[in-house]
Amino acid sequence: MKITIGKADEGYLVEIDGRIDTTNYNEFEGNIAHLYNEKGVMIYLDCSGLDYISSSGLRIFLTLQKKVKVQGGILKIFGMQPQIKEIFDISGFSSIFAIFPDYSTAKEA
Amino acid sequence: MNRNRLSFKIIVRVLLFCFILGGSVFTIYYLFARETIERESRENAIHLAESAVYKIEEIISPAEMIPDNLAWIMETNALSQDSIYAFLEQLVRNNDAVFASAIAFEPHMFSKEQYAFAPYAYRSGEEIRSHDLWSPAYNYFIMDWYQIPALLKKPYWSEPYYDEGGGGVLMTTYSAPFYRNINNSRVLGGIITIDISLEFLTEIVNSVKIFDTGYAFLISGNGVYVTHPDASRIMNQTIFTYAKEIDEPRLREIGRDMISGKSKLSKVTLKELGDVWIYHTEIPSSKWSLGVVYPHREMYAGLRNLNIMIFLLSIVALTVLIIATVRIINKQIGPLTKFAHTARNIAGGNFDTELPAVGDNYEMMELHDSFRFMQEELSKYIADLKETTSAKEKIESELRIARGIQTDMIPHIFPPFPNLPEIGLYASLESAMEVGGDLYDFFPIGDDHLCFAIGDVSGKGVPASLFMAVTITLIRSMSEKNRSAAQIVQSVNKTLTINNESNMFVTLFVGILNLRTGELQYCNAGHNPPVWLNKDKEPQMFGNTKAIPVGIFEVFDYRDETVRLDPSDQIFLYTDGVTEAEDVNKNLFGEDALIHALAENREKSSKELTDRVKQSVKDFVNGHMQSDDITMMCITYWGENGNNEKK
Repeated sequence: MKITIGKADEGYLVEIDGRIDTTNYNEFEGNIAHLYNEKGVMIYLDCSGLDYISSSGLRIFLTLQKKVKVQGGILKIFGMQPQIKEIFDISGFSSIFAIFPDYSTAKEA
Repeated sequence: MNRNRLSFKIIVRVLLFCFILGGSVFTIYYLFARETIERESRENAIHLAESAVYKIEEIISPAEMIPDNLAWIMETNALSQDSIYAFLEQLVRNNDAVFASAIAFEPHMFSKEQYAFAPYAYRSGEEIRSHDLWSPAYNYFIMDWYQIPALLKKPYWSEPYYDEGGGGVLMTTYSAPFYRNINNSRVLGGIITIDISLEFLTEIVNSVKIFDTGYAFLISGNGVYVTHPDASRIMNQTIFTYAKEIDEPRLREIGRDMISGKSKLSKVTLKELGDVWIYHTEIPSSKWSLGVVYPHREMYAGLRNLNIMIFLLSIVALTVLIIATVRIINKQIGPLTKFAHTARNIAGGNFDTELPAVGDNYEMMELHDSFRFMQEELSKYIADLKETTSAKEKIESELRIARGIQTDMIPHIFPPFPNLPEIGLYASLESAMEVGGDLYDFFPIGDDHLCFAIGDVSGKGVPASLFMAVTITLIRSMSEKNRSAAQIVQSVNKTLTINNESNMFVTLFVGILNLRTGELQYCNAGHNPPVWLNKDKEPQMFGNTKAIPVGIFEVFDYRDETVRLDPSDQIFLYTDGVTEAEDVNKNLFGEDALIHALAENREKSSKELTDRVKQSVKDFVNGHMQSDDITMMCITYWGENGNNEKK
């Protein structure tokens, strides 16, 4: 797993590469934890490189979503591969998160 | 001594080194000493020869002076017969080297009336006697000693000879002519002779001693031995006849060089002395030649003796060296053997084993300190390990107990409802760790309803297992008050969401089957959709309800869905541990493979179907470590009247 955090227009662009499972979800959480603290933060989560996500990983996504909301910010997820999208669909998470096909549609919305 | 011992190896190397070093030094010394001895011997030979020649000349030169001095006296006829005798006697008496002297006159030269006159004075014992040599029997005019200088008109040294009248003494004669003026012309007056005993020469030459067997010798102008330690050669042999006798051409060469008056150092092999050096030089007055003989063997005898001494000393020194080295090495590395023993003791668990004493050897002290450090570290490490192990064992034992408790929470007796012929049910849960977050449950509600549930807590291990325990307890208690699946889910969600700071969640599928009608009411909270198997249709997944897992939002509107099962229809429920089972290349088992496995095995009993799917997953992962809990549950609805063939 590789997490790259860059600056986007009004916030952060977080790229996730590889797998998030029980062996590294802590690392993932540690990498993005500092983003929780900014008021009104805007986060774009690029999932195009995400190959697999376990329920532990989903929990971190959920935590991120909740914390960002508390700070009055927005989390936008885009570029999910079909099998990841399927996991989100099955678990009903698709209805919780703002999910977009790509970066440009995410920015426009 | 063991050849592999360190001390042996060190000694062998040290000795080898000493040997090579000693050998090199000795060789250099030997060559140098030999060279020095040769040079000194050569110089000594030359010096000896020349000093002998000088001594000989000292005796011979005065003998040559005498006739020269007499010559001018004889040029006048001043002396009477008597006074000539007295004069000659006096001359012999005064010159130790002179054995005899004669003045032989030419015919009628001494007096007109006397034909020949040759007064002769000679030693006879202690006395000096004299007489006239002339007699009809001894016509001196034809003798070599008279004729040769008379004809050559210059002095002449005779070859050595034994004097018959002089008692067999080896002699040589120096003859010199003298002249007179008659009628203004210079005519030969006669010959003056001086006989010299060669005893003097022999003494001088024989006094030259070289080592034990070296010697000096003298040869005449013809090569005849005049002096030689072997008296039998004197006057009997020439150097040439001797060279022929011992068949040594180099000696003949030396003989030629000697009689031609050269001074030279040559090497030659003699029968009685072996290899020798001969240095020869000429005696200028008599044209004789002196040779000194240097035997090689004796020349180097001193060196040889010295070598033997050095060799013996070397053996003693080497022996001492070996003994000293062995002692030093054994003393220095002796502790190593003890350390090896100590290491074994320590390896055997005796960390307190006393270390060997090492003295003040720096390396051994280092080793000693390392050993001590190792002992301390080992003790510490073992103590830590014991502590860790006991802590780990404690945790493991607690986990084992927890696993037992968790296992007891889910029903695990199959078939579960022997008195419910409408239902065939089998379930299986395999945790990836001691405890896990998967759950299933089933229980009858009233007489004609079966409630069942399957769920998956996010994460694994102890945190998940706690959440699972809470969830499974909530499902049971909520089902008592609520009559619909959605209501049960809703109630569980509400309770779980309170104080859920860690955002744990459970995907949950709850179904309530009406055993009479086959109507299945269910609510899926984000769980993998179960598979519906009908003997006449392809396997079919339950639709996605888009409901989120429980524990996330306190207020979420979970809805009931309803389907109707035909008799012998089967519902297969599972957690994502099945579809996401991985092989070694991280390929997932997947839904397609699951559907395929189910399609192949439908119409089998719930247990058999579950076992077949389990086997398919097992075949797929092929020994790769299980990373997630794997839970399956299969419910076969046999219809209101049940089925007695399959259970």
